[in-house]
Amino acid sequence: MADVHDASVAAAAPSGHAHDHHPGFLKHHFDTPVQQFSAAKLGMWVFIATEILMFGGLFCAYAIWRAQDPQVFDQAHHFLNKTMGASNTVVLLFSSFTAALAVRSSQLGKRNQTSMYLIVTILCACVFLVIKYFEYAHKFHLGLLPGHCFGHPELSAAIQNGEPVGTCLRVHANETSSMPLWVKAVDESGHVQLLPPRANMFFALYFCMTGLHAVHVIVGMSILGWVLYKNVKGTFSKEYFTPVDLGALYWHLVDLVWIYLFPLLYLVGKPE
Amino acid sequence: MAAVDIPVAGGHTADAHGDPHANYLKASHGIRSWLLTLDHKRIGLMYLTMVALAFLMGGTFALLIRIELFSRGETIIDGETYNRFFTLHGAIMVFLFIIPSVPAALGNFFLPIMIGAKDVAFPRLNLLSFYIYLLGVVVVLTSIIMGSVDTGWTFYTPYSVQTSNSVISMTLGVFILGFSSILTGLNFLVTTHTMRAPGITWTRLPLFVWGMYATSLIQVLATPVLAITLLLLCAERFFGIGIFDPKLGGDPVLFQHFFWFYSHPAVYIMIVPGMAVVSELIATFSRRAVFGYFAIAMSSIGLAVLGFLVWGHHLFVAGMSEFATMLFSALTFLVAIPSGVKVFNWTATIYKGSVVWASPMLYAMAFIFLFTIGGLTGLFLGTLSTDVHLTDTYFVVAHFHYVMMGGTVIGFLGGLLYWWPKMTGKMHDEFKAKIGFWFVFIGFNVTFGSQFIMGSRGMPRRYYDYLPQFEPFHRASTIGSWILAVGLFTTAYTLLEALWKGKRAPRNPWGSAGYEWMTDTPPCLANFHEPPVITRGPYDYHLCTPEDLATGWDEVEQPAKNAKKDKKD
Amino acid sequence: MMLNEPTAPATFQLPEQMSTFAGDVDWLYYFLYWMSVVLFVGIIGAMVYFAWKYRERPGHKATPTGHNLPLEISWTVAPIIILVFLFHKGFQGYMDEAVAPADAMQIHVNAKQWGWEFVYPNGGSDNELHVPVHKPIKLILDSSDVIHSFFVPALRVKRDVVPGVYSSIWFEATHVGKDDIMCAEYCGGRSKDAAGNELPFAQQTGHWSMHSMLHVETEDEFTKYLMSIGDKCAMYTAKGQPCPNNVLAEQGQKIYVKKACVGCHTTNGAKLVGPSWKGIWGKTESTDHGPMKVDENYVRKSILDPSFRIIDGYQPIMPSFQGQISDQEIDEIIAYIKSLKD
Repeated sequence: MADVHDASVAAAAPSGHAHDHHPGFLKHHFDTPVQQFSAAKLGMWVFIATEILMFGGLFCAYAIWRAQDPQVFDQAHHFLNKTMGASNTVVLLFSSFTAALAVRSSQLGKRNQTSMYLIVTILCACVFLVIKYFEYAHKFHLGLLPGHCFGHPELSAAIQNGEPVGTCLRVHANETSSMPLWVKAVDESGHVQLLPPRANMFFALYFCMTGLHAVHVIVGMSILGWVLYKNVKGTFSKEYFTPVDLGALYWHLVDLVWIYLFPLLYLVGKPE
Repeated sequence: MAAVDIPVAGGHTADAHGDPHANYLKASHGIRSWLLTLDHKRIGLMYLTMVALAFLMGGTFALLIRIELFSRGETIIDGETYNRFFTLHGAIMVFLFIIPSVPAALGNFFLPIMIGAKDVAFPRLNLLSFYIYLLGVVVVLTSIIMGSVDTGWTFYTPYSVQTSNSVISMTLGVFILGFSSILTGLNFLVTTHTMRAPGITWTRLPLFVWGMYATSLIQVLATPVLAITLLLLCAERFFGIGIFDPKLGGDPVLFQHFFWFYSHPAVYIMIVPGMAVVSELIATFSRRAVFGYFAIAMSSIGLAVLGFLVWGHHLFVAGMSEFATMLFSALTFLVAIPSGVKVFNWTATIYKGSVVWASPMLYAMAFIFLFTIGGLTGLFLGTLSTDVHLTDTYFVVAHFHYVMMGGTVIGFLGGLLYWWPKMTGKMHDEFKAKIGFWFVFIGFNVTFGSQFIMGSRGMPRRYYDYLPQFEPFHRASTIGSWILAVGLFTTAYTLLEALWKGKRAPRNPWGSAGYEWMTDTPPCLANFHEPPVITRGPYDYHLCTPEDLATGWDEVEQPAKNAKKDKKD
Repeated sequence: MMLNEPTAPATFQLPEQMSTFAGDVDWLYYFLYWMSVVLFVGIIGAMVYFAWKYRERPGHKATPTGHNLPLEISWTVAPIIILVFLFHKGFQGYMDEAVAPADAMQIHVNAKQWGWEFVYPNGGSDNELHVPVHKPIKLILDSSDVIHSFFVPALRVKRDVVPGVYSSIWFEATHVGKDDIMCAEYCGGRSKDAAGNELPFAQQTGHWSMHSMLHVETEDEFTKYLMSIGDKCAMYTAKGQPCPNNVLAEQGQKIYVKKACVGCHTTNGAKLVGPSWKGIWGKTESTDHGPMKVDENYVRKSILDPSFRIIDGYQPIMPSFQGQISDQEIDEIIAYIKSLKD
């Protein structure tokens, strides 16, 4: 709807439009482009605050359980692949860099460069998700899953047969007395570890936190994809690059959450 | 409709949404012009319609509950159905009605006008908020049809994880509604910061706007925590992750902490807007600036901030450490202070005013009456040793109905009657409005006053059946609910009747100094014909000219009188 | 004061006082009440008076609002003083309730959907709580399923009962008498039988029906009570003799009520959500895993692992009693079911 209106304003300009200093991107309820930009920026920051609070709940749960069961947490985190985690960190940091570069080139009016940087950012996000997929798959294979599924041998078989995850729970639904099992497996540094059923809480947090983060990565990718589309169509200019700025800001948040997740889940704890 | 520029007198052009100088109700026609509107006023009216329907639905469940409780044993429904009904009453009233009510209906309509803006900062986001709300309503209704929850609106674990009813669909519905709340709050915060007209400084902001601002702060910061809490509950149910299951190392009481971390600030989302309306009503109908403007503005912010620190008072008997209970009790008493300050300041505003006993003023005074009772009974619950006896009894039920219904709903009704002429251009029948008021006020006190006594005598909450000694109290409460229902239906009828048979309202029927009364009644699409220039505060009656405060009733009634005269001749 | 008179009788607002802390709680309650009455009459009285005295009428004009900082400060600070007092007294009373005396007699309370079970120091158990007067009693509370809450109005005592944790409260009863024990945390309910038909009101159970009684008794009465619920088989096994079936069955009938089997199984042939025990002993029932004879093994397994065989026409909803029932109690149930063979 906005594009149609923009076009009509541009078309009407020669025929004595009363506000011919009124740029196409300026919405009618704003008085100046500066006001519009400040409003948009403030709105994005408020939205980021809400995202931080949402993740905050999970960080809080992490803090509570870590305080209650530090030994289990120290043992369990050795099952997370630090190399893959670190790679993901590097990938996301780099993508934040390219996102910032995209904003810069948009500010300078360089459309093609902006598109290139946006594409690189989105590709980095894809790499992140692929690495995540491998990490998750390995956990499923070992039975390092939350709740009743922890250590369940049938689950890994079920996943390999293409059955839905709910199978594990339905198997347990009627066995009210059955508890999650222990997991004995080789951890990421080659040591055989025996994890107690209580360790399922670590993995519950791992999957909830990285899972919610992955959802935000996908959302961020979609937002940047939309910005890329608009950029290719020529919507942005030196005077108006707000969506690029705000899209990159959202992406920085996604990166920042990972920067906290990585050390807390992968790194903190006793060495071998 | 093609976006063609239509030159209009005044140098502005009409756009796809209509002529900015036309009455907003007539600026464009057809159902699409409403469903795809970007006009905050139309969005406000659409929200108003929806919350009214939600109130009707939640209220129906309430009446059915009270009929069941009229007598011991089974009266009209069985135990499981009763459990579902009180759950739905709570969930619908809290999430579909009261949280959106004043902000989304009245706030959307009046916030931009009161700061001299043409619209909110993000009109499309505003419309999106409305559709997200609708989606949430649909999901909740689906959940009800599919079998409906019976956990209580608080969804406590482990029962909510184990019960076989539609918990996931209901929590997803609430999750979606939460986003609507967050986006509305975001919009209001940015609008207040960036779109005030010249001359409307922070110290000249109408108190209604301060109230909306404080409410938006809470909405934006607290609701995300509800979102993650509900997601974790769904993950617990669907994946069995074990976070609230003691057998898997989890903690069921953790759910209560997460839940109340949002839900306590949520009650301030509910009451602060009601208080914001009352500030406007007291000023207008006392013809006087609100006493202690700065204190009232800051107390709204104070409630927003302190409201985040007291969630533990819902868990005094749940198993927290004594240190935690002590801390939360102390903080709970602290949060009582800003509310008290408001009540004192409003009373001081009436002192030496020129008081008009119009129906909105009756509601404002009823608010002070009922909120004072609600607030004082909160002290009984904040005091640890008395709370042990009173928590989870009808005393709590009475307390929160006094503040939420005796507070917010009364404020909402007062605001509707006050701003009805401005929104619709029609004046309602004051006599019917006052009749409705008395039924509401008396009915409310009978319904919930008896519940305080029941509670302190030991009647627990959420009980389908009860011991014989409580029957007289339950009977009184049920009869009260019928009186209350008559009052509410009368008031609704009065408002709706005005749309068809109401007199045309003049620009400023109440003679208020508020900024919203400076513009047309109803406002034009762009709110103001020219950008407003403000040189006085919204309650500076002593700085107003007689024209500022002219009600315009003479002009409305004069043609009618002339017509009568002509007929006689 | 007589042993069977309350410290204070019931008033319009509060039940009788039956515990040593009720007095303090009530004092604070009435302090709050009268303070509220005074504040309410003061504020609302002023509001209505001003609204009337300064009503709009010809010749009357509003006076522009002034400022009065001292007034504003005083009505912000003065409430703080009262509130600090309330906080202090409230916290004091709460701490009194939190810390049990070292010599308190411990009684174990189990809450489940939908009933209470009290286990006494001699191992006997019952669905009602009996305590001796003037003695501190410490209750250790646990739940078998969801959160419940133990509430006795006359004692002014309430505590949530959370699964997976033991919580405790204590009290000392001040006089002989009775009061209601109720559940104060919503915990669900059931109104329909296995086929989905509505049950008659008397058979609907749930949060509202978790009602029990507190009996405060003299020392002698309490001792007699303990003996009556104690293990009757003890006098046989002490002599090296087997416990007679009729004694076992009598104990079994108590278990049937105490462990809430009565909520799902009748003894008169009527179908609820579980099969009736009348005449079931020795029958061959058709189950989801083929025909099954109802013998000792079947009954035992059904109690400890109910999902292993479900009789046709019923749902697999019986909870397991693993860890909640002793072997002796299982034998007593078996004896009871046998006795219903008719």
